[in-house]
Order: sequence, then C-alpha cells, then structure tokens
Amino acid sequence: MPSAWLSTHLRAARPRVLAALNRVFGDIDLAEDAFQDASLRAIRSWTPDRLPDDPVAWLIVAGRNCGIDTMRKRRRETLTAPEDLEPAFDGVHPEATLSEALDHSVYRDDILRLLFTCCHPVLRRDQQIALALKVVAGLTVEEIARAFLVQPKTMEQRITRAKKRLQAARLPYEEPDAAGRTERLSAVANAIYLIFNEGYSASQGPELIRGSLCEEAIRLARLIVRLFPEEPELRGLLALCLIQHSREKARIAADGSAVTLDLQDRTLWNRTLIAEGNVLLEAALRAARPGPLQIEAAIAATHSRAATYADTDWEELDRLFRALEHVRPSPVVALNRAVVLSKLKGPAEALDRLERLAGPLDRYAGYHMARASFLADLGRREEARRAYEQALVFAGTDVERTHIRSKMSEPVST
Amino acid sequence: MLFSVLIYASEDFIDALSPEEYASIMQKHGAFHEHTKANRSFAAATKLMSTGTSVTINREKDDFVVTDGPFAETKEQFMGFYLLDCANLEEAIEAAKILPLDHGRIEIRPVAFFEGADFKNAERLVINAS
Repeated sequence: MPSAWLSTHLRAARPRVLAALNRVFGDIDLAEDAFQDASLRAIRSWTPDRLPDDPVAWLIVAGRNCGIDTMRKRRRETLTAPEDLEPAFDGVHPEATLSEALDHSVYRDDILRLLFTCCHPVLRRDQQIALALKVVAGLTVEEIARAFLVQPKTMEQRITRAKKRLQAARLPYEEPDAAGRTERLSAVANAIYLIFNEGYSASQGPELIRGSLCEEAIRLARLIVRLFPEEPELRGLLALCLIQHSREKARIAADGSAVTLDLQDRTLWNRTLIAEGNVLLEAALRAARPGPLQIEAAIAATHSRAATYADTDWEELDRLFRALEHVRPSPVVALNRAVVLSKLKGPAEALDRLERLAGPLDRYAGYHMARASFLADLGRREEARRAYEQALVFAGTDVERTHIRSKMSEPVST
Repeated sequence: MLFSVLIYASEDFIDALSPEEYASIMQKHGAFHEHTKANRSFAAATKLMSTGTSVTINREKDDFVVTDGPFAETKEQFMGFYLLDCANLEEAIEAAKILPLDHGRIEIRPVAFFEGADFKNAERLVINAS
C-alpha cells in the first residue's frame, strides 16, 4: 500500500479513535499523543495484505497501550504505577473483542463528548474552530495557521490556551440527559458551521474561499450525521454546507473576483451536491422540529431551485427569513430580510427597514453594500457613493474590496 | 446471465480521501466502464448518496414508522452497484478485478429477476434468470 493510502486510513479513523482515547484518559493531550504513537505503530506494521479488519479498533487498542506506557513513565518519576492502569486487552487479536464491544452507541457518546469538549462554550469561537480542526479533523498546526493567515506560533499558542482553558474549567465527565445532549449537539453543529463559513467567506486576506476548510467542515458534518441521523438540525447543517458549497466554482471569476448570486453562471453549480442537500433537508423536515440551520438550508435550497436569479421565489424567502428571525433573531438576518423586501416591495421600503439597523450593523460591510445598492436604485447617487465608501472601510478581504469598487463604477440603474 | 457487482466501503474512509486519491479510484471505475461497455456486458451503474440521507421504513402493528438513517449500523456501508450481463460468473469476476479493490469490498451476486424502465420512453426491459 502506498503510504498516502495509509495516512488516509489514519485520517479516516482519527475522530473515532481519538474520541475513545479521550474517554479512556480523560485528557485530550494524552489522547492525541497516544494516537500519534499508535499511528507510528500502524505505519510499521500495516501492509496492503495485512490491514486489520477494523483499523479503528486496532488503533484504539494500540493507542490505549501507548498512553498507559506514557502514564507509567510519568508516574515512575513520582510513584509506582497503580494496578488499574494494566492494559485490559492482552490477547493475540485484542481488537476483535474490542471491535464488538465498541458498538454504535459508544462511538456516538465518545465522539459527541470529544466534539463538545472542543467546541465548549467556555472557549472563544476562534479557539473552538482551531481545536476542532486540530484534535478531531487532525489538521496540523501549520495547516490551520495557513487557513487563518496567522503564524504557526500564534496558532500553537491559541490551541495551547484553549486546552488550558478547558482544564481550568474542569468539565464534569457525565452522560448528558436528553436536553443536555440536544444542547451539546447544537453547540457542535454551530462550531462546524463556523468552520464552514470561515472557509466559505474567508473574513480576511486575499482569497474569498478557502476550500479545504469547507471540505473539513463537510467531513465533520457527514460524520456527525452518520452518528445522529435522527437529529434534524444536523442534517440541516450538512444540507446547508452542501448547497452553499455547490456554488464554489460559480462564486469566483477567472480573475479571482467575487461573483454575487445574481450574476453567477448557474450551470457551474454542482448539481450532485444540490440534490444531496435537498434530499437531506426534506428528510430533516419530516421530523417537524425546525431549527435555524434547517431554515438556513431551506433558504439555500430555495436559491438552488431557481433556474435564473429572476426566477427566485422571493415570497418563499421572505417566509423563511421571517421564520429565521423568529427562532434566531440577529441584525444580519434582518438585513437579509430587507434585501428580500426590496425585491418584493421595492428599494424605498427596504431602505426604510435598513435604516433601523444602522446601530448594530454600522461596522459591517454587507450593511453598507445593501444600503448603497438601494440608494443607487432610488437614484440617490451621491449617498450611494458614500455608502460604498463606508463598505470599503469595513471590507475584510481584497476580493470584497474589488467587488465593491466594481459596483461603485457601475452605471446607476433606473 | 445478469450479475450484480455490489460495492461496500467505509464512508469515513471515502470522506477522508484526498482529491487525487478520489480521482485514482474513479479512474479505475472509468476503466471498468470502458471494459464492460466494449465487450457489451455493461448493463447499469448506480452510485448511492451517503447513508446520512437514508430513511428506513418499518411496520409497527398497523402503522408505518419511518426512522432516520440506514437500517443497520455497519463498519462498511453499501455504496452502489453495477449490473453486468455476462456469459458466466468467471467473466463477471474478471471484470470486477478492474475495480478498486484495495479499500472496501466487492461482492458479486447473480440476479434472479430484473425489470428496468427507460425513464424517458417508459419502455420496460425485463430479464429473468434462466
């Protein structure tokens, strides 16, 4: 087997193995080290003809033994190793026993615990994203640093601080009840969506899309949907990511500039992703437990169904944004409603709605862009120009700035 | 005789593939298509969406119950299948060797009955094993 395939096996097994090791050791650092050691053992002993039947179980056993060795070494310096650190699996093919013992429900709880720990509310959002990518997805510190355009050292510190914060918080090790589980799943879903969004509309730097972040987010979303298919918000999350990601090729012009939804070549949309997203959403909605991610997915799906921008079902979008405003009110959602309103009732009414959002959105480029476009539609050119200039001030990426400048030079529509 | 070529793989593994690795797997499927179309054994190819999209229908007393997810949790998942019209099992086995076999498993199972439809013309195609 070429070593590339081996590393793919390790990458695929990582979330489940690390989750189990985290349960065994109750310590993410030790679990990560143990996984690393187990991976080295795998590289030495796995061959194309001798891949274990269950690589995940093999790695858990190996990682457990490696971790126990590490703990013994640490303790030998202070006290003798307690009996309860003896490895429980000493058979010839220990993973066979473990493989059967590790049924679906154990994986579910382990992975949820690991993900929730990485996305814990005591952590800042950027810490949640960094930790989830490092620990669960297995990206290197360098890769994460590159995705966020910071120095590897900065990212290393961010991750170290996040781990310290988790230790300081002394999270209780407990099985969540139904409400607690829903809360955890919701925190995890939000963190995965943050990762996707960071890739989808990179908030800083020269590139608009950082595809690898979108793909890692989709991989995590697929994993968690596989484990919790009965949770409609998770299917909503995956549907949302897939439908947004379907536009990847249409969103960037050949010269690297951004193409907005109204101007995208819809034949470039990935229909396979759209189909999967739509059917996931339909399956999610059957549960009749709507949530913000399902509504956002429905919004994305409504766009995906329109053959051209002119065919967009604005009435449906208005209903969906109203629903979203109800379950998760935010100034950005209100801004989006105003844009939909401009299509239904014209720019004057939309502008009126928008002006009321000035306070919370004053430092948000999208707000000034929408305002500028309504003003331009109303023929108020000078005010539109000033609004575009405000948008330029708050734009985070070069792509965004180029886009605003091109809008500024457009002739005013009448 | 019609043979089904059933493909099983771990979705965790498929999701972890790099674009290059995915391309090299698809290349083998491409070669399989080419080979079976050239010798006219190709009958159908079906690739399934992820098991995350699955629902399972059960009957409970007089009611239908639709649960989310596949009917069984397995380490490897059913990914899709080909149908081949081959003279014998040996020919089907030879063709299947072209497929990517390093990851996942491939099962060949003869078809007892097949009915297909041309979706556009609604013409039926019926094949019985005999």
